[in-house]
Amino acid sequence: MATTTKTRAAAKPAARRKASSPAPPPRDEVPLLEWISAAVGLVCALVAIGFVGWDAVFGVRSPPAVEVRLVEVTPTPHGFVAQIEAINHGGSPAAQVAIEGVLSGQGEPETAEATLDYIPEQSRADGGLVFEHDPRAGKLTLRAKGFADPS
Amino acid sequence: MHANAAYGRALARAFGGALLFSFPLLMTMEMWSLGMAVERMRLLVFLLLSLPMLLGLSYYAGFEPTFRLKDEVLDALAAFGVGFLLSAALLAVFGVLGAHGLSLRADLGKVALCAVPGAIGALVAGKQLGEGAPSARERERAGTLGEIFLMAVGALFLAFNVAPTEEMILIAYQMAPPQTLLLMALSVLLLHVFVYRLGFPGESRRREAGGPLRTFVAFTAPGYGVALVVSLYLLWTFGRTNGVAPHEIATMTIVLAFPAALGAATARLVV
Repeated sequence: MATTTKTRAAAKPAARRKASSPAPPPRDEVPLLEWISAAVGLVCALVAIGFVGWDAVFGVRSPPAVEVRLVEVTPTPHGFVAQIEAINHGGSPAAQVAIEGVLSGQGEPETAEATLDYIPEQSRADGGLVFEHDPRAGKLTLRAKGFADPS
Repeated sequence: MHANAAYGRALARAFGGALLFSFPLLMTMEMWSLGMAVERMRLLVFLLLSLPMLLGLSYYAGFEPTFRLKDEVLDALAAFGVGFLLSAALLAVFGVLGAHGLSLRADLGKVALCAVPGAIGALVAGKQLGEGAPSARERERAGTLGEIFLMAVGALFLAFNVAPTEEMILIAYQMAPPQTLLLMALSVLLLHVFVYRLGFPGESRRREAGGPLRTFVAFTAPGYGVALVVSLYLLWTFGRTNGVAPHEIATMTIVLAFPAALGAATARLVV
């Protein structure tokens, strides 16, 4: 790494001068900052490897299980916007999650759809569905219809 | 105190090198999704392999002809720290982290995956940012194994920039067998020409002993072999080979081996 090279380069002229003397003394000390940065690096490496390793060995591998919840309904001039959040309770990520909302109780059932790009396991993604009628007045059924395996 | 100041400057240079090499990857969408989606076992293997690789790299990219294990270990660890912290900071700035609720696991995967190219960049920063060429003695140090190792790192260095992208798969799908063979021939030819004909700075150890044929056998062929192995390993790590027909895997590997071969040929330029 470039980090010590500078120090070594700085130490070189001194070393060369000393080479002419009969007994070359031992090399100069490693600077404190070098120990500190190496320690920080060690912590980073241990965190990364520890976490990933723990997950690789003990992680649960169940299929995605996506729950869809209604957050809020906002009337707009272009329809009623129902903001939703999808939570993946399963043990593996899901991509291109198709969300469907069916609004019934006001004559014809009305269907709205959205696709959420990516929901990692135990995580949340937000989206929205747009209805012509007010979802608060009828019965709104939300569910995830399908997903793709990411990679 | 003076040594600390010098080391601080070198550390800043390392951050610069890490930034220069890893920002294209940090700004690549596939790196984020792969960080989340890559099989944890494969990511673990990748991280565990990266540490000895950084150790070897710090040995060859270092200045002194002597091998002091303590120095190399400290360098390699600090390099990983630089890559890790830089990735975490930049991904946070880009709004990539915490984008999906509270999934620490996904965020850590992204940062860990991006940390490795950053760490390589940090280690070769001295060379990249004009710290001067290593001494002739240092260059003679690399034996056959060392050359192979450096070619592998060079291949990884360049291939990593495009390996995560969807385009590798797309290009492989678009290519017919004749084109695949042509690309293979082109890769080998370029590798050979780069090493043997073009005297790049830092590439002064051109293997001219015994003429072109000997160079081909001693350097070009193993170099392309290394490029193929590195490419296949990267594709496997990123899960690109899952459920794919063997001939498609071969085509993908040859596509990725093109940048990898260029990296192997110019390893001495960057490392």
